[in-house]
Amino acid sequence: MNASSRHPAGSTEIDHRPPGDGERASRPSVPGLRTLSILTVAAMGIALCLVFFYAPIELEEGLLQKIFYLHVPLAIVSLCGFVLGGIMAIAHLRTRDRSWDLRSYVTIHMSLIFGVGVLLTGSIWARGSWGHWWVWSEPTLVSYLIVFLLYATYQPLRFAIEDPERQARYASVFAIVAGAFVPLNFLAVRLSTSYLHPRVLGSASNLPGSMRFTFLVSLVAIALLFATLCSYELTAKRTRMLLRSRSRILGYQ
Amino acid sequence: MAIFANALPENTGDGYVAAAYIVFFVLLMIYLAIMALRLSHVQRDLRDLQARTQESARADETTGRGATGGASQGHDGQTLEREPA
Repeated sequence: MNASSRHPAGSTEIDHRPPGDGERASRPSVPGLRTLSILTVAAMGIALCLVFFYAPIELEEGLLQKIFYLHVPLAIVSLCGFVLGGIMAIAHLRTRDRSWDLRSYVTIHMSLIFGVGVLLTGSIWARGSWGHWWVWSEPTLVSYLIVFLLYATYQPLRFAIEDPERQARYASVFAIVAGAFVPLNFLAVRLSTSYLHPRVLGSASNLPGSMRFTFLVSLVAIALLFATLCSYELTAKRTRMLLRSRSRILGYQ
Repeated sequence: MAIFANALPENTGDGYVAAAYIVFFVLLMIYLAIMALRLSHVQRDLRDLQARTQESARADETTGRGATGGASQGHDGQTLEREPA
């Protein structure tokens, strides 16, 4: 089987057969997935209620500021996801355990989806606040776009390689290098002096208690959503791999 | 969403807030729909596999080879492992 066997629906799959013990690593495991899902739905519900019924309306921005309870947690979680993908890639290179590569892939994949959310919600906020969908002179926006586009090349790079060993190894190296770039990029933007983009966290932030609390609950809710969707994706991929492995053993593929 | 839309003050004209949250939920729904579609493919493949396995077991019985009792013979002649618990 090729490293990237083509799914009938057109999507590309990763072959994560570990050397020696394929059954163990590809066995679907869903411990706590139901609990995680319930927690996520509850946290999202609470966060939405806090955003719309508890958090005060900001004096300067008005209602538009409420976008930040969605946009900023999405950005933080997606950037952390990119870094986490790099850490998992390190674990893969250290242990040669392919399940780490799968986790790294799923984390980066999910961070990219959240990244789309960040760019869309950010553009809507920029349109409402600045009158423009995008401002190229703003370092925060451009740096996030650079990170997003960098990770957008991860999947084409990965699936351009046929050999499963090389595919996993090269993808891990990419994830580590790009993961290291994310905090450096963030730091560079923080150090830049001329920015229009508001600071939500840090010394430049002066959020009142109720707003800070709402923001933190939203952050937890989005982080839980990220974890749940990653778990779903991992479980689905492992189930598919197990199914394919059974079909292969039975000689149906 | 209707509850939250009603919570928006009318005089602010900030459809942007509603738009941002709606975009996020639409994105989430699209992702979940794709996941559901993929899972339906898995379910279909699993059903196919089950049917073929049963068919092959029946064929083995009729040809007199008998049931393998937890292990079956693949086309490549390999004996399968027992299903993990």
